[in-house]
Amino acid sequence: MISHRDRNAQRISALDERAEALHLKRDMGIADARAMHPSIDVVEADPEADRRLLEGLADWCDRYTPLVALDGADGLFLDVTGCTHLFGGERAMLDDILSRFFHQGFDVRAGLAATPGAAWAAARFCGDRIVVSGEEEALLAPLPLAALRIEPSTRTSLESVGLRTAGAVMAAPRAPLARRFGALLLLRLDQALGRLDEAVSPRLPVAPLSVERHLAEPVTLTEDIERLVGMLAATLKTDLERRGEGARTLALLLFRVDGAVSRIALGTSRPMREPMLIQKLFHERLAALEQDIDAGYGFDLVRLSVLASATFDMQQADLAGEVTDDGADIALFADRIRARLGDGAVLRPVAVESHLPERAVATIPFTDAPCRTTPPKKPDRLQAPKTIFPPERPIRLFRSPEPIDVPATEMPEGPPLNFRWRRALYRVKRAEGPERIAAEWWREAPSDEEASTRDYFRIEDADGRRYWLYRQGLYGGASQVPPRWFLHGVFA
Amino acid sequence: MAMTAVARETVFALRRQIAKIEGTLPERLAAPAAAPFDADVNTDLTIVRRGIAAALPDAFLPIGVGRLDAALSGGLPKAALSEIHGLETRDAGAVAGFALSLTSLILKQTPGLPVLWIGTSEIFREAGFPYARGLHASFGIEPEQLLFSEAPRLVDALWVAEEAARMTALAAVILEIRGNPQRLDLTATRRLHARAQAAGRPVFLLRQAAGPEPTAAPVRLIVASAPAVPRDTIAGPLAGSIGRPAFTLTIGKSRTALPGQFTLEWNPDERAFNERAGEARDRAKNPVPVVSLSGGGKNPAPASGAVLAFPAVGSPISPAARDQPSRPQRTAHLGPRRAG
Repeated sequence: MISHRDRNAQRISALDERAEALHLKRDMGIADARAMHPSIDVVEADPEADRRLLEGLADWCDRYTPLVALDGADGLFLDVTGCTHLFGGERAMLDDILSRFFHQGFDVRAGLAATPGAAWAAARFCGDRIVVSGEEEALLAPLPLAALRIEPSTRTSLESVGLRTAGAVMAAPRAPLARRFGALLLLRLDQALGRLDEAVSPRLPVAPLSVERHLAEPVTLTEDIERLVGMLAATLKTDLERRGEGARTLALLLFRVDGAVSRIALGTSRPMREPMLIQKLFHERLAALEQDIDAGYGFDLVRLSVLASATFDMQQADLAGEVTDDGADIALFADRIRARLGDGAVLRPVAVESHLPERAVATIPFTDAPCRTTPPKKPDRLQAPKTIFPPERPIRLFRSPEPIDVPATEMPEGPPLNFRWRRALYRVKRAEGPERIAAEWWREAPSDEEASTRDYFRIEDADGRRYWLYRQGLYGGASQVPPRWFLHGVFA
Repeated sequence: MAMTAVARETVFALRRQIAKIEGTLPERLAAPAAAPFDADVNTDLTIVRRGIAAALPDAFLPIGVGRLDAALSGGLPKAALSEIHGLETRDAGAVAGFALSLTSLILKQTPGLPVLWIGTSEIFREAGFPYARGLHASFGIEPEQLLFSEAPRLVDALWVAEEAARMTALAAVILEIRGNPQRLDLTATRRLHARAQAAGRPVFLLRQAAGPEPTAAPVRLIVASAPAVPRDTIAGPLAGSIGRPAFTLTIGKSRTALPGQFTLEWNPDERAFNERAGEARDRAKNPVPVVSLSGGGKNPAPASGAVLAFPAVGSPISPAARDQPSRPQRTAHLGPRRAG
């Protein structure tokens, strides 16, 4: 028996058959139940876990249709339009669903109808029934009002005026019903009867293309899965070719026999359709995920979906049959690295217009922007502001400037005489600077503007190593905060 | 002195034997003055040229400094793994700078190809992340040409490097590692070297704060910063200014070269190395002989005492002594190899 807290009282929220046999009921207080039967076993409800379980089931139901939606806390909608013939008809499909759920240990009731409302009612009040299109009215008429998916308050007020079944509501004149009980009642009614369309909004985006293979004998080995991916990708290739597209995001869904679903997604740097390459990428991904994927008793359905695709630009091969495109190699290489080590494993620097050194370069994950294979032509815009002596920039920059200890400077505004960095003392032989870099007032709060003005110095120490230091803040400023020193980078 | 001369003869004979096996050109070996060398070469030495290094005419990347190129018998091997060491992590700037100048030289020949820099998270945290603006300014490498790969673990970094080393679409691969991790052993470097050879592209293995240990790389260079000369202006050198980057280069290991030390200066404008003239002159005037030389200062490089496998007694500062693997390391290398 499961309890939940409602208005400061523990109440029964769900109970099993044995508890029902003891004449316990839902919403009964736990204290009352215990008074009747002191030996009952009560467990606190965990809505989060219930939700996770339902989502897991929804994932698993993906094997029947990509359009799976959650319905409240205890139901699933499956839009099986156009899918039933894959499972041998509606009846066979329903039986398959029920038997598989039963073997997984779930007590499931299902209904199949032309409208979501009718299916909902069929599942909850008739059980395992297939409603032929047009028979919705006959199905609903004898059912209680709860079958109309309406608010309990509406239901009680309808009952108080003597309308106790859905059929009674259907027979009643519409206008007074709408006036008295709101538009929702009629909306639900019309939806259930198919007079209005009701869309089931799927949980997950529907893949434009997907291919799958049902396996009579579950597979457990990674090599088998990889081979299957290759075969599925070969099927996918013809579809992609017909569309003139290549895959940008691919997902591999592995349905385990006992209902768990593993979803492995990966992105590609440029549109891809070659089965060999797709197989290679999944090989890396599977190798990286080896510990995380538990094959258990094996996977009985493997599906490969294209979640996103893009136009595939064909390339003319030369007469020897070789396509000369270095960028493709790099893109594929980057994809493989990313498949195994994650998206941030291959980075590309991008110059950003900013005075602050750490903002002047952004490193972004390698994307489809093809690597230029020819030296880029410099636009005039870049040429114009080029000075004769561009400011010297270090070749390595610390992710966050490292604080250093500067005991003394020759002049207040000048470079340090020596400094201590990572517990070692460095003696400054020569220094160049300062180069003053002010804070970007359009980004930072004006209050700490003074403190973040930096004076950069190039320093050479006694051994000839060259560093880039800066002093943050000014001496004698209004804020009275003593300036601090940082080491920001190293030169060659 | 007599013993040294005998030892020198023996060493030379052995090296000629090795050269014969490896297929290196015999004339690159400096002969002791007294050895009847030329007569021998023409008669009984048959050089079997094996491997890419000896077969292709442009197998070497000339560094552009005559003395160093001569010592390395033409430059750094282009299709190979090359080790560039820094003795301390704080030398990371110099080590990276030298590797990038080599990359810049390669990019002169193969313009536009991307460069991949792989590092572990540790080294990027300790020594700083490569800064594209600085690389562009100092080495002429465009940001579009740069690819970075940061791997959390050494295993992953090595895997990325192996995958990258076999690609011909990359101009060069830089793999940066800190210290002497056990996983970076002879086998791992041999794999990298073999892939670099097959692809014909260089792989630079930057090792910060690492001691020398046996690897498959044919060349090991030890790089440290050298004080820069002042900037040149029209009115003469500008006092107190810091000019072009300079490196002190020590050949730690090479099949052909004799150990030596060089001070190179990188010219970012022409993207070329110069040897610092003053230093070379000083060195010629006051060389650091490992054994006392009887010859004059004309060609001080072939101080052949340094090729001995054991350091000469009483010269603890000799570069050769520092770069030879210590005794336990060497025995470990000669012993049965670890699997994997």
